[in-house]
Amino acid sequence: MKKGLFALALMVLVVLTFGSTVMAEGKLTVMGVWGGQELDAFMKVVESFEKASGIDVQFEGTRDLPTLLTTRLEAGNPPDVVALTGLGMMKDLAKSGNLVDLTGVLDMETLKEDYNQTWIDLATYKDGMYGLYISADIKSLVWYNPKEFAAKGYEVPSTWEELETLTDKMVANGDTPWSIGLESGAASGWPGTDWIEDIMLRTAGPEVYDQWVNHDISWTDERVRRAFEIFGKIARDPKLVWGGPTAVLATNFGDAANPLFAEPAQAYMHRQASFITSFIKENNPGVVAGEDFDFFPFPSIEEEFGTPVLGAADMISMMNDTPEARAFMNYLATPGAQMIWVGELGKIGINKRINPNVYPDDITRKMAKALQNASVFRFDGSDSMPAAVGSGAFWQGVLDYVGGQDLDSVLEYIEDIADESYTTGKATD
Amino acid sequence: MSRKILPRVILNVVIIGFMFIWFLPTLGLLITSFRPAEEVSSTGWWTVFNSPLKFTQFTTENYREVLKKGGMSTAFKNSFIIAIGGTLIPVAVAAFAAFGLSRLHFKGRGLIYGIIISLLVVPLQMTFIPILKIYNTLNLSGTFAGLWLAHTGYGLPFAVFMLHNFFQSLPDDLFEAAYIDGASIWTVFYRLALPLSVPALASLVIFQFLWVWNDLLVALIYLGGFKDVAPLTMRLSSLVGSYGQNWHLLTSAAFISMVVPLIIFFSLQRYFVRGILAGSVKG
Repeated sequence: MKKGLFALALMVLVVLTFGSTVMAEGKLTVMGVWGGQELDAFMKVVESFEKASGIDVQFEGTRDLPTLLTTRLEAGNPPDVVALTGLGMMKDLAKSGNLVDLTGVLDMETLKEDYNQTWIDLATYKDGMYGLYISADIKSLVWYNPKEFAAKGYEVPSTWEELETLTDKMVANGDTPWSIGLESGAASGWPGTDWIEDIMLRTAGPEVYDQWVNHDISWTDERVRRAFEIFGKIARDPKLVWGGPTAVLATNFGDAANPLFAEPAQAYMHRQASFITSFIKENNPGVVAGEDFDFFPFPSIEEEFGTPVLGAADMISMMNDTPEARAFMNYLATPGAQMIWVGELGKIGINKRINPNVYPDDITRKMAKALQNASVFRFDGSDSMPAAVGSGAFWQGVLDYVGGQDLDSVLEYIEDIADESYTTGKATD
Repeated sequence: MSRKILPRVILNVVIIGFMFIWFLPTLGLLITSFRPAEEVSSTGWWTVFNSPLKFTQFTTENYREVLKKGGMSTAFKNSFIIAIGGTLIPVAVAAFAAFGLSRLHFKGRGLIYGIIISLLVVPLQMTFIPILKIYNTLNLSGTFAGLWLAHTGYGLPFAVFMLHNFFQSLPDDLFEAAYIDGASIWTVFYRLALPLSVPALASLVIFQFLWVWNDLLVALIYLGGFKDVAPLTMRLSSLVGSYGQNWHLLTSAAFISMVVPLIIFFSLQRYFVRGILAGSVKG
């Protein structure tokens, strides 16, 4: 019997070694982090491309994209096209010559008509453009329940003073104004970094924000400290946040909007990016966008800096200069392809020619308008920092601070890690 | 009499207590997998015990949703191809190698055995880039054969170690008798060593099968996450969105992927305990 098994194993081995084909002509490999709905949406985008071009697109999804990409790159078989997760990664890869300059691939004149210069600049490293943005998510949003607001006579604030007056009024009524959830598995803490980035943009302005992200100013700088303090004033106060700091630390970010829809409402406001709508709808069946939940922009704090928009964007880069990859990149740059993507997911399109009718609801149209009108757009800073800080010490620091640790030691801790991790930046020495 | 019963009772209580603690997370997972998504996110799984007979609080929606997602059957098939090849090849090779190293007397076998055993401590992450480079030149990356070879390489040191010790523990007289009767080395291996080591082989098969079946990383690196070749683990991980949406599907998906290892385990378990002790006592 054992002999039979050996023979069988050997046979299968031989058949598969010679029977399986490796990457043939007319194929294109794409790597990305998408799963679930995002993957379904991307496959729809791909479908019309495959039909039109006859090129077979193979998508490879992994949650741990940086590791897999680095391994593949080192071994010499990177994907043809990759959806990178951060600007820092794009710059690193462009610097090492692993990305194809898209100015020679795409029709730049059309692109310049279709895109705001901001988005072209954001993908530019030195003289080349190494990424194509296909959609954006905006983060500077405060979600609320319009019915509850109306019932209690609360009004949407547009400045920080109005917001503070509103929260005072809520506390006086015995209501809890905010709901915050920082838990996100191994990535716990990131929702807090978004808060601090949003506050930094509003208290110190985009220029100082950039300096902070590039580590030109220290983490112990007074302006960074102030942003933490404003966040801490809310997140550490059991009167202002539902469940107090304990719930803030223990609640999953995806569930953190639920108190707004409880009967009776347990909290009234939740600051989170546009993608939270899919969680709200999934966790609270029956709620209607625009009626049961809506958003207002995170209010401005210092008048001179207005109401900037913090966000993230999906970017596609090209790694192998093949005719198939060129065709695919040109296809992705068209409003048609992007409309499938944003329409399926409720993301916000960047291409000016995207028809607002593709958005699933008025809320998304409102967000698209907010993005187009934004005077200042900045990427999520923690995504652009070195991983040890942006997806390490900063997350940890936020958790420690909310957990009650003293702010000085938290900032010194992040500064120590930053000193080791940044290779440039004035505060590094 | 009562003197003997009391320690027994304590022992049993302690064992049952430990079993319960071990079992608790799995139970929670099982219950969660039958609960609707919105309830999973609002209350804990233990709340079902408030009214355990209310069957309307359970749903098979999660299972249906996972199974109806396209590509599940391909993923199952891929997982089987990978796991069967990735189990049989290393076990077969290890059986030959262990027999040679323990039962044949040739120069330097101690050294060879030592080198194989020392490979146990090499972290497999270190090998990814060099092996993938070789695979790319040999056109082996993205093929099942390449993945089998990788799993064979990663599984061999432990397999050789375990079987070597087991073969060593077989009485020498048995083999001498066989040789005197004129048996060839092959006959001794095939007729004597292998049948005697069924418990050890069975537990090795379980170990190796579980490791290959549950593996995500090795398959992702050498095979790639493409739909046509991706095993179940990869398919399941892509159910969840990049912000962790749909995680309630993971509970039912975990149980679906657990079915096969459970079948393997229960069908081979009578060998398992005997096999774990394999090679532990000499002579």
